[in-house]
Amino acid sequence: MKRRKKGWLFLLCSFLMVLWPVLAMGADTIKLGVTEPLSGTFKDIGERYLDGVKYAVETINAGGGLLGKKIEIIPIDSELKPDVASRKAQNLILKEGVKFFCGGTGSSVGAAMSQLANRENVIFYTYGMEAASLTGDKCNKNFFRATSNTDTRSYALAVLMAQKGYKSIAIVAQDYSFGKEAVAAFKKKMAELSPQTKIVAELYHPAGTKDFAPYVSQIVAAKPDAIFTPNWGNDLTLLLKQGRPMGMKQKIFSYYINDEVVIGSLGDDSLVIGDMGVEIYTLSAPTKKNKEFVAKFYKDRGYYPVMRGKGYVATMFWAEAVKKAGSFDVNAIIKAWEGLSYDGPAGVWTMRAADHQTQLPFWVVEIVKNNPYYKHAFEKHAGVINAKDVEVPVDQTGCKMSN
Amino acid sequence: MSEFLVFFLHGLAYAGLLFLVSAGLTLVFGMMNVLNFAHAAMYMLGAYFSYTLMLHTQGQLWLSIIVCPIALFIIGALIERFLLRRVHAYGHVSELLLTFGLAYIITELVKWYWGNYPLALNIGGFLGETIQFLGLSYPVYRIFVFACGALVAIILAVILQKTRLGIIIRAAVNDNEMVDALGVNVPLVFMGVFAFGAALSGFAGVIAGPLLSTYPGMANDILVDAFVVIVVGGFGSLAGAVIASLIIGELQSFGALLFPKLSIALVYLLMVVVLILKPSGLFGEEQ
Repeated sequence: MKRRKKGWLFLLCSFLMVLWPVLAMGADTIKLGVTEPLSGTFKDIGERYLDGVKYAVETINAGGGLLGKKIEIIPIDSELKPDVASRKAQNLILKEGVKFFCGGTGSSVGAAMSQLANRENVIFYTYGMEAASLTGDKCNKNFFRATSNTDTRSYALAVLMAQKGYKSIAIVAQDYSFGKEAVAAFKKKMAELSPQTKIVAELYHPAGTKDFAPYVSQIVAAKPDAIFTPNWGNDLTLLLKQGRPMGMKQKIFSYYINDEVVIGSLGDDSLVIGDMGVEIYTLSAPTKKNKEFVAKFYKDRGYYPVMRGKGYVATMFWAEAVKKAGSFDVNAIIKAWEGLSYDGPAGVWTMRAADHQTQLPFWVVEIVKNNPYYKHAFEKHAGVINAKDVEVPVDQTGCKMSN
Repeated sequence: MSEFLVFFLHGLAYAGLLFLVSAGLTLVFGMMNVLNFAHAAMYMLGAYFSYTLMLHTQGQLWLSIIVCPIALFIIGALIERFLLRRVHAYGHVSELLLTFGLAYIITELVKWYWGNYPLALNIGGFLGETIQFLGLSYPVYRIFVFACGALVAIILAVILQKTRLGIIIRAAVNDNEMVDALGVNVPLVFMGVFAFGAALSGFAGVIAGPLLSTYPGMANDILVDAFVVIVVGGFGSLAGAVIASLIIGELQSFGALLFPKLSIALVYLLMVVVLILKPSGLFGEEQ
């Protein structure tokens, strides 16, 4: 009896598995595949980004859809592995004819998705993958970056630190391609803007370092005026948590300081107050559209769109390109997106035609105790850095786009 | 000179932590011949239990130090009695797979209950302060971590070498049929050893939580380090774990200062060198 029951269940499951794609295809929608790590260590990042894209799609659908069609999101768990993401995406292209993909986590995933997009002639856009090479020597016409990259973000932090007039700076970064690229770009811009500023320490530690004490001691001994770090996640948390009690009192200028998860997990605001960062989308960006967006998002969701805002704005930007193209034809959309400007919550974004790198302003934030968003410390608006101040000339990117 | 001393201290503190994490693992392997993949997951449980406890008691670390190892002792005993003992007859591969599966289940349960993001855990009182010496500020907690590691090492050595219980445990490892025949309840001894290993991992979690932060990936992140320690020290050797922890702790600390370009690979280089020179590890028994 038991065995027979199991048999039926098995049959039912196989039926569902075979039929599911067919059933799902029924509705006349435009599908958008979102590759994010939806399991494992980086699940929380993937889920926050996905939430932002979802909110954009809900907003578009509530307003009558895109060119009269509803958008349907297909979450793809990339597991942060390039081969997994591109295999799953390839299946969606072949079986369901999906033409649009996006993602924000893991530049290696981005490189694989970019290649796939180019081969299958679909569109992939990113709102979070920042390796400069994606719009540099690996660029192609099917890949769009609706966010910053390590070059522009480091440039923006260099502009900010040069404005402050620091005489000496210590650098601490993760020992892999991302950390090294970020530091190289920072040093280049700093030398250009403020040649008299000395780099008194330049330290690289393995990503996922547990004990920062040996690095903190070297920073403290170098006596810098301020510290620059592209660290994120736990490598930022532990640098602050272990560094501050050991006498590392300097202001930290970081790639991702206004991360509510990092600040919340410190449990002690005094470790982070006064630190500064730049970001392409911030809650505190004082544009009229952003104030409306943040208020509406909070009303709908019950929390604030930190990070999620990046997925939201990029997806709205993509939708603008589709509207301008007037069709869902991939080639028409590529053409329409090139050179397109979009005035959204994060200011005016322009997609540069030559390398598909969005030119956008950076919003400067300082971490303060009292803020309207959280009980713990969070950001305060502290200025803006214009797109042209951090522009990387096309001939320096290494991008040669073939049509 | 004072710079040397500071980096030496950094190394000691981290060595203390490494030893705490690897002690239970190497003990269980040495006594029971079980490579417990769930060890790091139990360490994680210890840290999360401690978080919840400290949340409700305004940061009383002392309470966590007592309660969490006991909780893990009970969990360890149940795992040994109802799971591990049943697969024991089927050999090492089954035991390995069982602990592997347990590691996944525990990790996912933790994420499900406590959420998939890092938690804020701070030490109040004297342990949270910094002391000044040699013109430097040094956190008291780092000294405390080393002291805990040293204390556990001494207690373990005394139990195993000087007490009747230690004699029975060591005898059960050598020839458990003989010990059984002498009227000792060998399955009970093994259950006790496994549970004690679990309690040690829970203790390590309590101590590590405030220093390394309490987050869902903490089990995976520490597992590799613990394995490196017991490979270098020799599988199952407590003395080996002590020495290997000290070497690795100091190597990481001075490596960051003297060979920054190599610091990412230094520990693994050490492991390779040791394995080439003495494949059974520094204090391991030759097969």
